[in-house]
Order: sequence, then structure tokens, then C-alpha cells
Amino acid sequence: MIRGVVLCLAMVASPALADFVQARDVHILPRYAAFADSSAALSKTLEADCSADAVMPAYHAAYDDWIRVSHIQFGPAEARGVALSMSFWPDPKDRTGRAVAMLVAETDPVVTDAAAFAQVSVAAQGFPALERLLTEPPEDAAYACDFMQAIATFIADVARDLESEWRNDFGETFVTAGADGNRTFQSDADVQRALFTSVSTALEFLHDQRLGRPLGTFDRPRPKRAEARRSDRSLRHIVLTLASLQDLVDKSFGDLQTPDLNAAFEDAIARAETLEDPTLAGVADPARRFKVEVLQRAVRDIRPALMNEVGAPLGISAGFNSLDGD
Amino acid sequence: MLSRRSFVGSAVAATMVPAVSWAEVGSPTHLSAARNVAGQFELLGLQRTGDIAFKVPLPARGHAAVAHPNRAEAVAFARRPGTFALVIDCATGALLRRMDTPPGRHFYGHGAFSLDGLILLTTENDTETGEGCLGLWDVASGYVRLGEFPSNGIGPHEIVRLPGSDRFAVANGGIHTHPSSGREKLNLDTMRPNLTIVDLEGRVWDEAVLPLELHQNSLRHIAAFSDGRVACAFQWQGDPFDTPSITGLYKPGRGVSLVEMNGDLLHRLDGYAGSVAVLGPNRFGMTFPRGGICQTFDLDSAGSAAFQRDDICGIAPAAQGGLATDGLGRVHAISADRLEPLARHPVAFDNHLIAINPV
Repeated sequence: MIRGVVLCLAMVASPALADFVQARDVHILPRYAAFADSSAALSKTLEADCSADAVMPAYHAAYDDWIRVSHIQFGPAEARGVALSMSFWPDPKDRTGRAVAMLVAETDPVVTDAAAFAQVSVAAQGFPALERLLTEPPEDAAYACDFMQAIATFIADVARDLESEWRNDFGETFVTAGADGNRTFQSDADVQRALFTSVSTALEFLHDQRLGRPLGTFDRPRPKRAEARRSDRSLRHIVLTLASLQDLVDKSFGDLQTPDLNAAFEDAIARAETLEDPTLAGVADPARRFKVEVLQRAVRDIRPALMNEVGAPLGISAGFNSLDGD
Repeated sequence: MLSRRSFVGSAVAATMVPAVSWAEVGSPTHLSAARNVAGQFELLGLQRTGDIAFKVPLPARGHAAVAHPNRAEAVAFARRPGTFALVIDCATGALLRRMDTPPGRHFYGHGAFSLDGLILLTTENDTETGEGCLGLWDVASGYVRLGEFPSNGIGPHEIVRLPGSDRFAVANGGIHTHPSSGREKLNLDTMRPNLTIVDLEGRVWDEAVLPLELHQNSLRHIAAFSDGRVACAFQWQGDPFDTPSITGLYKPGRGVSLVEMNGDLLHRLDGYAGSVAVLGPNRFGMTFPRGGICQTFDLDSAGSAAFQRDDICGIAPAAQGGLATDGLGRVHAISADRLEPLARHPVAFDNHLIAINPV
């Protein structure tokens, strides 16, 4: 009897509980469009002037827009492996530093050939490599300028392609689950799951990596492991991601009642916005570390609310195998 | 919970009733534990088409199962550190026998039958010493415990029989756990996993270890080629973004070596492989559920192909090359260069897909 009820709920209720057109048109597409615009502007800025003073504002604007859409981990972004090439991190072996140093040391002409540059190590292609060149400029300024232009061109090309694919074929695929020939999404449940997984994966990444890596342990904090600390962006990525995830949930699953989830997001965002520790260097200061730990706990508290208020009504239980660990 | 009387009764039944063959239960080719939409746990028999041949209820979440070579009988193991395993009649769903570990032992979730199907070996933990051991169970008398011998390491996880022989490969994962602290890992700094080849008398025929700097690569799941090579699936216990390859190959008498993996792909796997299966004379497949990746390796060409599927974990050889299952209820067919949807069921398939009638 109970089993029958659960089955009926799952079959009847799920299509009405998510709004894919709204998720696409009000959340995903505008974000890819903004990323395409600001990365094109970054490329244009670098063509005119490679000085850090000139480039930094455009760099921050484009990086912000990437972080605002980086949680969309399915579709064209997944097919192209863009997550790594845009933002190669965590990077415990400093592959970014090594890849940048190698190209600089050899004055490798690959940076003047866009097609060839698309084939170099992902650690040299994206924002972390650009950050390195801006904040630890090599002696050969002319080569650094060519290198930065190559990165900006690569980022702008990727951004334009992602937006274009979403505006055309993939955007259609996304809202026509179950249609003949739609091999990506066989049912609405597949789309719901893709959206849900984007949120849950990004929350896990925030907790374990963006906060967990610099926190390390009390006895051994690791402030130098904070993401994008060289350009003071560590905390900013956390704030932007939290706001982006809250917006995605709101646009995709707005018909669901999510009071606990909203409260959990608001709490974490408020704590992040008032942290006043852009590089999370405070993890090594016992007096300030406490606040980062509290933020990490606030991020952790979002997931159970997400499971209860979004996952459960949609019949999604994330990661039966991936969370089992055996 | 069975009363003692019905417990004895079912044990006797197992020995008295003529065994039913696999053909009589819908000719399943594979077994998997699963959770259904009502949240109940089941053992499923799958046909090569991906259709369900039978399903029988389980009282709790399973980890892996092992199929008897000719009787339509399966042993389903509880998740570690479980202390029971269930012998199930796949024709009727009847619980034939509940196997309980002796005091001071718990199961690690896998087992293997001897070549003639008369003895079942199970991987176990001696909770007092932390040493791994292999339990031996007499099938004909109703899965009565015969004895045990050391597994030659700590934390034995998967055990497989080398095809055509009564020698077994054991993945000693190296990680010391104790039931009082659940799955907490107690020895990550000193762990030293190994692959051990043993026979039914407990004689050690070979032991293979990785170099010391890779001592945190925990060997968990294995699959044997017909020539005695063993494909190895590891779980890296260090920084997941600083992981070495988690795929390896053991060659008899020549140790185990890691198979090169694409660095960018490795960055997405959380250092975690879930299952491994031999798919051909020189071909094997691995699943990485945390990265949602299934990868096939061709040892002739040293080539590999990776496929993205959420929560994929079960993988096993099959007539068409291979089958894989995931936590979304999908069954996938693995062919030479593709992974294609075969069927979908309203269940979450559990970690391991088991081929019935292995070589």
C-alpha cells in the first residue's frame, strides 16, 4: 500500500515541480551571455594594454561571471571539460605554476596560435594561469602579454561557444526531455536530477574544497591552499557561488516549498558577506579562524535542507553509490 | 529474525531439497542488490537484455553478492562491518540460510566459491588483532563454517577465484577499521595494501605490493583474467587532487603496476574507483562513481575510452562485452567502443554487478 502511494506520487507530481524553461531563460542563458560579454571585454582590454592596472578590473569581471555559471556542470560545459580549463583548481602539485613557468622559460610560440593554445595543458589555459601572470609577472613582459592575450582569447572563445550551444541545440534539448531523439534527457526526471546535482555538487565543493582546503586542521591550517588567493578572490568565489545556487534553486524549483533551504542559504550568505577576509588568511589565526569554521558549518547545513525540500519531493536521492564509499 | 527452529529447518531444507538451476529462474545472467522506490532492499536477477528475471527481498542494504556456479543460489553480504550474509534461493526468494560470523569477526562484503561450488570463502576482519582473514563455509551441509585462515594482510575486501583453478586473488586493502568506530580509518599513515594469491589450504602463492610512496593507494576491488592476471581498482587515501593512477594490473610473479590514466580525468574522480570487471582477453572496465565515469582499458593498444554516467558503479562481463549499472536504475551495455542504454528500472542499483557462471 505504502509502496503504491510512493509510486503514484513520483509519477504524477514530478513534471509540475520544476520549470526548465525558466531555469534556462532566466538563470542559465543570461549567465552564459554575461560571461561571453565580459570575457570578450577582457580579451579586448588585453589587446590594448597588458598592464595589471588596466587588466585587473576586466579580469575580475570575467572571472566573476565564470564563477556565476560554473555550477552548471552538465551539457556543453561537461562535454568540453570546461570546468578544468577555465579554473584548474584544486592544484596541490602547482601544475598551474609549472605549466606557466615552462611556457615562459621556453618563450613558447604556442601563445601566438589560438588553435595550438587550445591544446596546451588545461592548467595554463584559464583564469588561474592568468592570475599568476598578473600577480607574479615574469621578466619578459612582451611574452607575458602574448600569453595573457592567448588565455583571454581562449576563455572568450569557450564562453561564446557555450552561450551559442545553449542558445541553440542544447537549450532545446534541455526543455524537450523525453522527445524522440533526445538522448541526453530521457525524461523530466533526468533534467531535474541534472539541476539538483549541479547544486549539491557545488555545495560539496564549497564545503570540502573552497573552505575545507584552507581550513586544514586546527593544528595545521593551510591558508596558501585558498582558491585564487593571489588576486584576493577566495571569499568572493564562495559568496558568488552561494548566491548563484540559491538563484538556480529559486528559478528551477520555485513551486516547491523551501523555507528551511532559503533560511540556510540566507544564513550562509550573510556569514560569507560579513567575513571580511578575502583570502581566508584568517584560518591561521585562532581568533579569526572560528568565523571561517562557522561559515563552513553554515554551508554544510544547506545540504540536508536541499535533500529534504527539493530532493525528497522530486524522488531524488543523491549518490546511492558515490556516497557509499566501499 | 528467525527462531532457532525455523533456522535449523531452513538449513536442513538447503541440504535436502534438490537444487534448482539458474535456467529455472528465468536464466538470469547477472545479480545486483538494489533499493526500490519504497526504500526496500532487494536482490535482483538480470537477463542479458537488461530485463529483470527475478527479485527477492533483502532485510537491509547489501554490498555484493556471489552466485553459486550451478545452483540458483546466491549469497548476499551485508555492508561492512556487517556480521551476516544471506543464502537466498533465487527461484522462490526463500531465505535458505543466514550465515553469521563467529564472535570477533565481521564480513567485509565479498566472497567467492571454489571451482566445484562446495566451499565458499569470505573476506573478514579479526576485530581483536585487526588482521584480515578468510572464512571457509561448507556449502553442502548448509553453509556451515569449516574454519578460517589469514588473508595475508589488513582489510581484505574483494576476493575472486582465478579462472579454472582453486587459487584466489585477495585484495587486502590495508586499512584497519574496528566495528566500535564504524568505518573510521585507523592507520592511514602506516597502511600497506597488497594483492595476495592463496589456495584453499591458505597457502600464499604470491604477494604483490606497490612501491612505498604509493602505500596509501588502497586496493579494494579486483577482477581476474583467464591467464591469472588481475585488474586492480584502488581508492587513494591521500589528497584526492594529488592522486596517482587508481588503476592497476597484476601479472603472476611480476607484481602489480599502475596503468596510466589521463591526468585531467583523474582530477574528477575523487581518487575513488568503485568496481572493476574483465571484459575480454585483454580488456577490462572500471567504474568511478564519484566522478560518474566508466572507463574501458584495452591492453593490446594501451588505449582507453571514458563514458560519463551519473552514479555508475556496477560492472561485469556479459555476452555483448559487458554490462554496467547505476544508482538511477539504468542498465548499460558496454561494447567495443560504446556504452549504450539497455534498460531502466525504478530502483537504485547497488555497488556491484555480479556475472553468474563466470569462467
